[in-house]
Amino acid sequence: MNLRNYIIRRILLVIPVLFGVSIIIFVILSLFSPEQRAAAFITDVKQLRNIKSVIKTYHLDAPLYLQYFYWLKEVLHGNLGWSRTASRPVLEALFYFLPNTVELGLFSIVPIVLIGIWLGSASAVHQNRFIDHLSRTIAIIGWSLPTFWFGLLLLMIFYGYFKGLFPPEALSTSTSLYVHSPNFVRFTHINTIDALLNWKGSVLLDALRHLVLPVITLTVVQCALVMRIMRSSMLEALGKGYVTTARAKGADEKTVIKKHVKRNAMIPVITVSGYLFAGLMNGVVITETIFNRKGLGWWWWRAAVQLDIPAILGAVLFNGILFVLTNLVVDLLYAYFDPRVRLG
Amino acid sequence: MNSYLLNVQDLKTNFYTYEGVVKALDGINFKIEEGKTLGLVGETGCGKSVTVLSILRLILPPGKIEEGKVIFKTDEKRVDLLTQTEVFMRKIRGNEISIIFQEPSSALNPVYSINDQVSESFLLHRKEELCKKVIEEIEADIQKNPFFLKKAVYQIEEKIYRKMLKDPDAILLRLLSKVPILRRYQHRLKKQAKRETIRLLRKLGIPNPEGVVNRYPHELSGGMQQRIVIAMALACNPKLLIADEPTSNLDVTIQAQILDLIREIRKRLDSSILFITHDLGVVAEMCDYVAVMYAGNICEMAPTRRLFKNPLHPYTVALMRSLPELGKKRLESIKGNVPNLINPPSGCRFHPRCSKAMKICSKEKPETVEVEKEHFVACHIYPQDNK
Amino acid sequence: MEPRIKELKFSFSRIKKSPLSLVGLFLILFFVIIAVLAPELAPPKYPHNPYRIPRYGYSAIPRPPSPEHPFGLTEGQYDIYYGVIWGTRTAFRIGFIVVGSILVIGIVLGSISGYYGGIVDEIIMRVVDTFMSLPTLVLAMALVTALGRSLDNVMKALIIVGWPSYARLIRGDILTVREEGYVEAARAVGCSDLRVILKHVLPNAIYPLLIMASLDIGAMVLTAAALSFLGLGAPVGYADWGQMVSFARNWIVGPPDNPLAYWYTITIPGLFILFFVLGWNLLGDAFRDILDPKLRRR
Repeated sequence: MNLRNYIIRRILLVIPVLFGVSIIIFVILSLFSPEQRAAAFITDVKQLRNIKSVIKTYHLDAPLYLQYFYWLKEVLHGNLGWSRTASRPVLEALFYFLPNTVELGLFSIVPIVLIGIWLGSASAVHQNRFIDHLSRTIAIIGWSLPTFWFGLLLLMIFYGYFKGLFPPEALSTSTSLYVHSPNFVRFTHINTIDALLNWKGSVLLDALRHLVLPVITLTVVQCALVMRIMRSSMLEALGKGYVTTARAKGADEKTVIKKHVKRNAMIPVITVSGYLFAGLMNGVVITETIFNRKGLGWWWWRAAVQLDIPAILGAVLFNGILFVLTNLVVDLLYAYFDPRVRLG
Repeated sequence: MNSYLLNVQDLKTNFYTYEGVVKALDGINFKIEEGKTLGLVGETGCGKSVTVLSILRLILPPGKIEEGKVIFKTDEKRVDLLTQTEVFMRKIRGNEISIIFQEPSSALNPVYSINDQVSESFLLHRKEELCKKVIEEIEADIQKNPFFLKKAVYQIEEKIYRKMLKDPDAILLRLLSKVPILRRYQHRLKKQAKRETIRLLRKLGIPNPEGVVNRYPHELSGGMQQRIVIAMALACNPKLLIADEPTSNLDVTIQAQILDLIREIRKRLDSSILFITHDLGVVAEMCDYVAVMYAGNICEMAPTRRLFKNPLHPYTVALMRSLPELGKKRLESIKGNVPNLINPPSGCRFHPRCSKAMKICSKEKPETVEVEKEHFVACHIYPQDNK
Repeated sequence: MEPRIKELKFSFSRIKKSPLSLVGLFLILFFVIIAVLAPELAPPKYPHNPYRIPRYGYSAIPRPPSPEHPFGLTEGQYDIYYGVIWGTRTAFRIGFIVVGSILVIGIVLGSISGYYGGIVDEIIMRVVDTFMSLPTLVLAMALVTALGRSLDNVMKALIIVGWPSYARLIRGDILTVREEGYVEAARAVGCSDLRVILKHVLPNAIYPLLIMASLDIGAMVLTAAALSFLGLGAPVGYADWGQMVSFARNWIVGPPDNPLAYWYTITIPGLFILFFVLGWNLLGDAFRDILDPKLRRR
């Protein structure tokens, strides 16, 4: 079946894009002077004296195209430099900050997708009625909301006015101390999952309480996108011939919508999912910064403000790889949902 | 009179659009006898497809069936389809009345296999028979005396299917179909439906039905797709088959094959056919009766031979004249354009283009008159009292 | 020409009939008026640099709205009213410059790519793919870090990040239109290639571009505001909405008896951003509903 060929070809396409990402990173890197770049590999202020030898070790004075290969070699060995703001190597820092971001991401993606699809679909089926107008209003306001402003507003109301109902940060101080103590085993470093695995309800509740506002902040903005795409693709599918055929066969309206229309309408939504992830990543940076959740986004913000170059470049690299993989998954899902693509 | 399968009386359908009310059907009348084929001819935009959708009540807003009667003879009695419940209509659609659509590539759902789509007809209307067959199959399986766990599963399955036979809408069944893993109980039913599908495709002369059944619409040629659409329509042996320009989008050679197929179906199944087309040649080949439609009205209706031999309505005459013939030096056309149905011409809608138009034509809509046996015309040239 | 004028008139009538597009239009007009009248509404204290928000003291604690300072004073005693008025000009500057540039760059590169095909097309499209696989904010952050912190660099970064989508759009249009019947017909009658692009391709491609551009003005202003908020864009005290919201960060929660005490520091600049972007989004949506030939005549 051509599905296999399609998958293989699609996976192979990953490589040139990854190359492209690495080139972009390298171009940004080359905007800095050799001294600045050498400083990226220094872990201790005392080593500043030996900066010339650092430059020599990493070939930072060689011609640009050679530098690219040396740099690439280091990257492939996992040496992404030292992050000042994280006080550890960049690669290690990526894994250190990852769990909090994953937690936020997971808890956001599910409502974004579910609510977006549900509202978009209801909007299309009941076009021009109340639910349609309501969803579209929410969608367009959500899409115009500055994430950072909305998050702060939520904080003001639900943390300030409602006296600490939904606080910022990832965990309250006491719970945080408990989580780091030997009584609590951190299997995944993701607070909610670890709380379940340790069977500690109080930790779970605390973690969830701290998740409410960041998740709402992220969800509202991204949901708008999913809702709009779902609505427009449903409307388009509803006008197609096979819908009339299904009705002419005697299928009831609910089946027609669920079986025939939705499956076709999901296709553009899947295509858009790539953009969804990008938007999510952008939102994560801002949300973690506002709510002081120490995840990847928070770290990158501090790195940008404090000119921690290896960290920033690590950010670009991480995102590049993440998106290449995400797009790969999206394309494969797309082939599953739309048989016409498999021939391509 | 009483052998009519379908009797459409005074059907009026409007579309309420942004730019005005489109009076698509202006009170049309026709009848189809059992076992006969009626051809409905007319130019694009005269309302043929709207007629089809109106009969099965598939008109959606902004359209609305304003008035009229669509009297259909079901097994027990005659009913006016326009006054029945939606549940009743769903039992009729795809079951006693089916539609073959014009463009097969858009009539088929691109994300489902042929099997899924044709089986759907069986699963919707022939569930009882399928259930019975499944129960037989399960009993045969139990007879083979399998491993005791398997036997238990079969016995549970048998109970489920017996319940389905007695009470298809039972709550238990609905619950089961919502749970992902337990949904497998429908597996046997779907297998039976697939068998029926393959049998149907084979009957229609489709080569390699077992292979075709697993394909997707875009993998098939246009002619093959149309055969699948026909299969879907025939699955439940409908009494009335409505073919809405089934060959207009196909090559001439494929067209001939499809028409042959339809002719065979007519012979074997003895169903009535409402054949919509703009091609007079096809009408001459396929239809017992012809109705000529213009701008939402039926101008003339007669047995095919008689219409071709003796067209009465000026529009029909003009249509016949515009057919290319060997030896004709020029193609004749009808002057003027198809009218805008938001503001249709007053009186007889054809009068602005009619070479025989009289004063009364722009004032009054002509009545339908039976000029000779089974030959009806709606034209002021043949007024009511002139029999 | 006649049918074009008729279509234009029809477009306007459609705009007039759709309430949402009218709202969008009014919002934009509102902001245009503010931007144009900025010197009158908020006379600059520093004539050489009107974007420098005047300070009325050095205390960090914000002060609520009063007759002299209609929107209050934010952290550092910066006048909020002044900031949001001149911030409107900044927003328009960012929106127009960035979107204008990426339109031009995108169209040029996309046209070259789509028209000439071959290896040029491949290279440009790989570049586009790579850029589109990175989130805008993160990439912009990286670029601003490299280039230095300023509003101009923010705009440069946004331009670098923003052109790929337009290039891809135009290239796609050129590829589809190239295969269309009317292009072959035009070529058969003897039209030169440039003429074909200008007369046949662009007029059809322009509508989705316009829609994307008006939606992007809002998006770019949002991203620029986010960057300024994070401290990577406009310098402190510059009249930029995002920058002003960052002042409010420490004053989200007021004293225990009046937690909403400093609401004006965050609400007012934020609302300006929200309505500005909302206006452009409504307009872009309205364009889409109006200009899409399939949806026009429902």
